[in-house]
Amino acid sequence: MVANFNIELIEDNNFDLCVLRGNIDIHAEKYLQELPGKVKTGKIKLDFSEVGRINSMGIGLLLRCFKKIRDEKEAEVILSGLNTMHTMLFKTTGVFLIAKSDK
Amino acid sequence: MQKEILVVLKDAEEKDFLTPHLLPVSELVHMVEIGDLSQAMAHFEESRKVPALIIISTRLYPEGNPGLVATLEARYPGSEILLVSSSSDPFPPLQPLIRDNVRHLVINPEKNGVFDEEPELSLFSLAIRKISEGLSLTIRDYLRPDTYIHEIRVSSSDQKEEIIARLEGVINGDSSEIELLRQKGALLADEMLENAIYDAPRKEDSASLYKKGKKRRVPLKENIAFRFGFDGETLAMEVEDGWGSLSPKVVLEHFAKNQDDFELFDEAGGRGLFILWRFLDHIHIHINPGRQTVVGGHVKLVTAENLIEKKGFHITTSCAV
Repeated sequence: MVANFNIELIEDNNFDLCVLRGNIDIHAEKYLQELPGKVKTGKIKLDFSEVGRINSMGIGLLLRCFKKIRDEKEAEVILSGLNTMHTMLFKTTGVFLIAKSDK
Repeated sequence: MQKEILVVLKDAEEKDFLTPHLLPVSELVHMVEIGDLSQAMAHFEESRKVPALIIISTRLYPEGNPGLVATLEARYPGSEILLVSSSSDPFPPLQPLIRDNVRHLVINPEKNGVFDEEPELSLFSLAIRKISEGLSLTIRDYLRPDTYIHEIRVSSSDQKEEIIARLEGVINGDSSEIELLRQKGALLADEMLENAIYDAPRKEDSASLYKKGKKRRVPLKENIAFRFGFDGETLAMEVEDGWGSLSPKVVLEHFAKNQDDFELFDEAGGRGLFILWRFLDHIHIHINPGRQTVVGGHVKLVTAENLIEKKGFHITTSCAV
């Protein structure tokens, strides 16, 4: 797992693909604030397979980011590569009300 | 001095069901069906006794008899209230509990043995004993007696990852349950430490003193300590801080708000405490206002792969809050 959080944006004709890496906490703030501005299509797919721990601060940042993408960019947010912990956490905190899992 | 316990239940069926689980304290217990409550209260008055603890079924309160706790609190102002609920019943709404200052909830009193081979030593009987003795739960209560408790004094925010790694290191094994317990433990430790380092320190007007993510040195007088132990079946952990800035009402409001309204984005909203409640099998919180807060609980290996949907809590204070 990488020490510092980062996001790699891979452009595709049909949708935006982002690979997230590292733990998601307060240190991911800058990246997740900037992400909605980079969405170019009506669908963004976020790959969590290289994400480690996500704490409550990280959940708050993800909720805000996904809501902005949904409301301001009118884009669909799809989550992939979620492990069991991510899934439990997202169910508990309402992330799945804004973003869908690809499973 | 032994303290009396009043148990108020819906009907004879519920009474029969709960009786065996109250055997360890049977000599202290007055068990009544709601229809006989006045009689039981008269008995307490005649004998000039006051129940230290009142146990009420969620089949009676808050939905069926919303004024029940207020009536009992008016009669016995110093008594603690413990609600018991079955996981097959609807989870009680938290707002009435906040209003009526109810701080203890046990789900499935017949289950939740602290140790698998001693089912009679349940979380329920443990909670009864602790509350009626005016004590709070500690992580020692969840672990086998010979389990080593690690304690780390926190002097800097930089210690967080090192502490989490140390906790992960004591959960040995390669199975998927162990891996999930390790991940749950890491998340819980993260939330507990963030809470003690950044959320607990407050100004007089309750505003936060420190911004999350900023490195900070923690003076000795803040008395932040993180404790954990793993006995092979149960992971127990707690964090202590010297601020005592939470209150039972605020804790339950955080639980209620996050449970009812997922899309709240305000980070002052106690999402961290809510996650602790949801990811621990049982949470205990002890508050000595202005002096100390302890937030802790346990997770069992057998529950690591899923989240128990309906959770209890145990909130105690050193004086009336």
